[in-house]
Amino acid sequence: MSEPTVRRRRPGLPRRRGLLLRREVAASLVSVAGLVGAPVRDSDGRDVGRLVDVVVRWDRSAYPQVSGIVVKVGFRRTFVHAADLAQVARREVQVSSTRVDLRDYERREGESLLVKDLLDHQLVDVDGARVVRAADLYLALLGQRYWVVGVDVSFRSFLRRVLPGRARSRATPERVLDFAAIQQFGLPGDPLRLRRAHRTLERLRPAELADLLEDLGRPQRQALLSMLHPDTAADALEEMTAEELELLLREVPDEQAAELLARMEPDEAVEALRDLPEEERETLLAAMPAQRAEELSRLLAYDDEVAGGIMTTSLMVLGLDETVASVRERVLEHRGDQDLVGLVVVDDDGRLVDDLSLLDLLAGDPSEPASALVAPPYPGTVTPEADLAEVVEQLTANRGASLVVVDAEGRPLGRILADDVVDALMATRSGRHWPWQVGP
Amino acid sequence: MRLLALFAVVGPGLIAGLSDDDPAGITTYSVLGAQFGYQLLWVLLVSTVALILFQALGARIGVVTGQGLTGLIRQKYGAPAATGAMLALLAANIGTTAAEFAGIAAGFQLFGVPKTLSVPLSALLVTTLVLRGGFRGVERVLLVLSAVFICYVGAGILANPDWAAAARGLVVPTMPLTREALIISTATLGTTLAPWGLAFIQSYAVDKRLTTNDLSLLRIDVVTGALLTGVIGFFVVVSCAATLHVHGVSINNAADAAAALEPLAGTLAKGLFAVGLIGAALLAASILPLSTAYAVSDMTGSPAALDDKIKEAPLFYATIAVVTVVGGALVLIPGAPLVTILVGTQVLNAVLLLPLLAFMHGIARDRDLMGQYRASWGAAVGYQVAIAGISVCIVALGVLSLKP
Repeated sequence: MSEPTVRRRRPGLPRRRGLLLRREVAASLVSVAGLVGAPVRDSDGRDVGRLVDVVVRWDRSAYPQVSGIVVKVGFRRTFVHAADLAQVARREVQVSSTRVDLRDYERREGESLLVKDLLDHQLVDVDGARVVRAADLYLALLGQRYWVVGVDVSFRSFLRRVLPGRARSRATPERVLDFAAIQQFGLPGDPLRLRRAHRTLERLRPAELADLLEDLGRPQRQALLSMLHPDTAADALEEMTAEELELLLREVPDEQAAELLARMEPDEAVEALRDLPEEERETLLAAMPAQRAEELSRLLAYDDEVAGGIMTTSLMVLGLDETVASVRERVLEHRGDQDLVGLVVVDDDGRLVDDLSLLDLLAGDPSEPASALVAPPYPGTVTPEADLAEVVEQLTANRGASLVVVDAEGRPLGRILADDVVDALMATRSGRHWPWQVGP
Repeated sequence: MRLLALFAVVGPGLIAGLSDDDPAGITTYSVLGAQFGYQLLWVLLVSTVALILFQALGARIGVVTGQGLTGLIRQKYGAPAATGAMLALLAANIGTTAAEFAGIAAGFQLFGVPKTLSVPLSALLVTTLVLRGGFRGVERVLLVLSAVFICYVGAGILANPDWAAAARGLVVPTMPLTREALIISTATLGTTLAPWGLAFIQSYAVDKRLTTNDLSLLRIDVVTGALLTGVIGFFVVVSCAATLHVHGVSINNAADAAAALEPLAGTLAKGLFAVGLIGAALLAASILPLSTAYAVSDMTGSPAALDDKIKEAPLFYATIAVVTVVGGALVLIPGAPLVTILVGTQVLNAVLLLPLLAFMHGIARDRDLMGQYRASWGAAVGYQVAIAGISVCIVALGVLSLKP
C-alpha cells in the first residue's frame, strides 16, 4: 500500500485524527479529472454549458494559477475568466457573470490547458528523479484564486477515473507530487521555455538524469537534453549504459551529438564512439573541434580490450620544479573534473617520475617544489597494449584508484580509472528488454 | 544497400512474422484449407495486406513518438479509453496464450504426453527462463524449431494442388454464407492481425530506440515478416486443401492437421508437425505475458523492467502471472476441445482488434503526436477500409450466430 503523502504525523497523534486530517485535506481539493464535463451554471442556477478544460498561466511562482476555464456552449468552446468564477466545486462550477464571450478559445502565449496538455501526459518528477504520468491534478482555493497544487500519479487515482460520476470526482490524494517539483516538456506552441530555471534539473545527479533520459518518450527526451547545460548533459550521458548512449547519440542531430561527445571525458566518449557504426563515427568526429577529434581518434585506434582503449587522456602533468602552491592552484581550477584522481610528475624529458595523490599534495609544504613530494613506493605502470588482466593485476598491486599508462619511453599517455576497468570487465544491462536480448 | 544496417534493425518484424505462424495460426489456416479448399484463400490475402498496413503503422508510431501503444492511447484518449483498450488487449492476449498452450498440449499429445503434464511444465519452463534471463540460447533453438513450418511450402508443392483453383480462390472473393465460413474467416483475420503483435511491434521499436532514419529499413523488415506469414499461410491452406479437403477429411485434432505434411515428410509428418508446433508455441508463450506486462506498465506510467524486484513492480509481475496462469488453466479444463480453443480465441482476437485499430488510426492522424509523419489522407482511407471490412465480418458473424 503506498503511503499517503499528505500524512504528517507527529509521534503520539492518534490514528483517527490523522484520518480526519486526510479527509479534510481531500475535501479541500478539487479534482480536475472530476471536473471534466461538469455543468457550468450562472448565479441563477441556469446551465451555461459544460466544462471542457482548465486554463493555467505559468509565471515565475512555483504553482500555476488558474486563469480561466474553457466551457463548451453549444458547439463553441468559450473562455471564462478566473475572475468570473464564483465557485469551483467538485462536480459543478458557478460563474458570477452571465456575459459569455462567444469567441472560440484560442491558446495564448504562456498558457496551458490542464486536460489537454498535462493530464495523462508524461511529466518529470524532479524530486524523485523519475518519469510519471499524471493521473489527476488538484486545485485548491488560496486567497481568491484557484491554484494547481499537486499532481496525483497513483494507480488508484487512475482507476478512479474509469468510474462514473460521483466516484470519479472524489479527490484521492494518495501519491501526490508537489507541483513545484514537476518539470514539464514540450508544451505545444511553447516548446522550450522553462517554467522554472534549469536549476531544478541541474540539481539532479548525473545518474538520475541518465535514468530520466532513458525513461522519457522521444520528444521529451530531446527537450530535456536541450534544456540542460551541455556540460551537465555530458555528465549525464557518461552515466548511461553503453547501449542507451549509442541509441541516444543516433537520435539527436549530429552537431549536438558531436558537442556532447566533445564535452565528455575522453574515455567515456571513446567508449560511446566505438559502439557507433563507422559512418556515423566519422561524421561526429568531423563535427567536433579538430584537437578533440584527433585525441579521440588516437584512442579509438586501440582495441577496447587493452589499456589504450579504456584510458582517459586527461592528465594533470607537473614538472619537477613546480611549487606545491602553484600546483594547488591548478588543481583548484579543475575542481569540477571527476577524473582528477592523481597528479603525474615528469622529468625534463617528459618521462614519468611519480604519480602523486591529492593527499600527497595536501600534505606538502606550499613553497616546496613538486620533486620533494616524489617518494617511494613508486607506482607500477602499463603500456597501452597491455591486456585487461595485466591492468587489473597492476591496479591491485598499486592499491590505488587509478593506473598510469606510459609509452615505450616511459612518457605518460593516459590514466586508467577503476570504474573503467569495472565497465570493461562487466557488461551490465538495465531497462526493458525482450527474452532474446538478455545476456552478456 | 546498407545490408549491415538492415541486420541491426531486423528483428521485430521478422520475429512478429514468424510468431504469427504459431499453433493458433497454423491450425486456423489448416481448418481453412481442409474445410473450404481453395475458396477462401482471398481472406488470407486480405488479412496479410491488413497486417502489412497496420504493423507498418504500429512501427512508425513507435518510432516517431517514442511511446508504447497503451501509453499513447491514454495520453490522447484519456484514462477510461486506455483502460478499455488495455482490458481488450489483456483478454485477447490471455486467449492467445491459451491457444499457445493448447498448441503445446496438442504437440505433446502426438508424442503421447498428456496435457496435464506438458502444459504446467512448459509454463514453468518458459516463465523461469524469461524471468531469470536464460532465454537467449533457448530462443535460437525455438526459432529453428518453428521454422519447421517452412516445410509447408515443400508439402504444398509436392501435394500436387490445383494451382488454377488456388489462383482463383486467391483473387475471386466468394464465400458461402454459412456460420462456419464466417467463423473461420474471422479467425483468419484475428490470427494474422493479432492485437498483441501490433502492441509488440510498437513497443519493440521504442525499446530499440529506432529513429526516423531507420524507418525505411524498419518498413522493409515489417513487410518481409508479414509476407513470410502470408506465404507460409498460403502454403498451409494449399497443402491442406490438396490433401485433406480433397478427401473430405476435417480437422478435429492436431494429428489430422499433421496429415497435410505427409506428401513431404511421409511418416515423419506427425513428428515434424509436433516439433514445429511446440517450438512456435513456446516462443510465442515467452513473448505474450511479457508484452502484456510492458503494455500495462506503459499505461500506468510507471516504466517497469525485468530487473525490478517484485515489490517494486507488483503490477508488472502480476500481469505476467495472470496471463500465464489463466491461459494455461483454460487449456487444462478437462475435456476442453483443443482445436475449438485454438480457433475460438482467434475469433475473439478479431473482435478485440476493432477498438485497438480505431485508436491506432486516430493516433496516426494526430498532428500533435506524429508531426510531419502524420498519416496522409490516402493512408487514412486505407485504414478505415480495413477497419470497416473487419467490422462487417464480425457483424455478419454475430448475426448468423444469433439466427436459429
